[in-house]
Amino acid sequence: MKGIVIIVPCLVLLLLTACSSQKNMFVLLPDQDGKVGSIEVINDKGSSVANKPGECVSVAGSNSKPQAAPALNDAQVRATFAEALAIEPLQPQSFLLYFKTDSFELTNGSFELLQPILAAINKTQSTDVSVIGHTDTAGSKEYNFTLSTKRAQTVRDLLVKRGVDPVIIEVSSYGEADLLVPTADNVKEPKNRRVEVIIR
Amino acid sequence: MHRIVSFLLLFVLAAPWPVFAADDFAGSVKNVQGSVSVKRQKMELKAARGMKIYAHDVITTGKDGSVGIILRDNTVFSLGPESELELKEYVFVPDQGSFAVLARMVRGTFVYMSGLIGKLSPDSIKIETPVGTIAIRGTRFAAKIAGN
Repeated sequence: MKGIVIIVPCLVLLLLTACSSQKNMFVLLPDQDGKVGSIEVINDKGSSVANKPGECVSVAGSNSKPQAAPALNDAQVRATFAEALAIEPLQPQSFLLYFKTDSFELTNGSFELLQPILAAINKTQSTDVSVIGHTDTAGSKEYNFTLSTKRAQTVRDLLVKRGVDPVIIEVSSYGEADLLVPTADNVKEPKNRRVEVIIR
Repeated sequence: MHRIVSFLLLFVLAAPWPVFAADDFAGSVKNVQGSVSVKRQKMELKAARGMKIYAHDVITTGKDGSVGIILRDNTVFSLGPESELELKEYVFVPDQGSFAVLARMVRGTFVYMSGLIGKLSPDSIKIETPVGTIAIRGTRFAAKIAGN
């Protein structure tokens, strides 16, 4: 009995360390929101899927079948990938600013979002900010393209006026081509009259 | 209405900044530590924070090096020491529905995180390694590649 008590934890330990000692391995991780998808490792000899956090696929070489290996716990993940995890950038942040109808004037609520946007740019020391203009489907495509461009430029100017280096801002516009809320043509939809600011 | 359009058009045409960024960069270096180089055509550049990354770039870290890169669609690649990543192809044109991520993890340690392409068109993402390719469904994973 005593023997089993010792052997079982040893076996468990052996199994747990198995994946982290592999030459080639792929470990599924949760994203920053805790969500987990799946990966499949494929070569000529076969394939193997990981779809739970910490699950591991190991491959001995290009002539070996990918195989499910015991999952890694957090400590093992941190130990094996310490440097890559330490340098991993935060997921880019995205803000939506809304506009009054047929106008490039921000809604009052959206104007108040400028401060959090500036704070995020400073905090992450971002060197890559996208400002992307959109409209709803009221009006012609050409008119809306121009309007979305003006909206994006308005936001760009507001950020630059508040100290953001214009060099790091990329402005683009989609007109009515990329609706947040799908609608028929010629529909006024406040949620589609927006500029998205992405801070990378 | 026409007058407003003409006025706006004039404004757009006269704007000193590009309305559409003509620059076709794939992403940029967000975090960098130690020695990290970027091979572009025949040049070898020292990676620096904010540096733009293009398709066909090969990113290599030294013994003390690590680097984090964010691509246009928010895909994130992080490399630990003695690692090499080749960004073979990158297309992100959402309004035309064209997407492609083709990268090769040559050796080392990596953390990968899907971006918008992972949501909009997961089949457009292909990660190669010397021991197999990886199909990804909107997620984050770590890889250690030592080879054969």
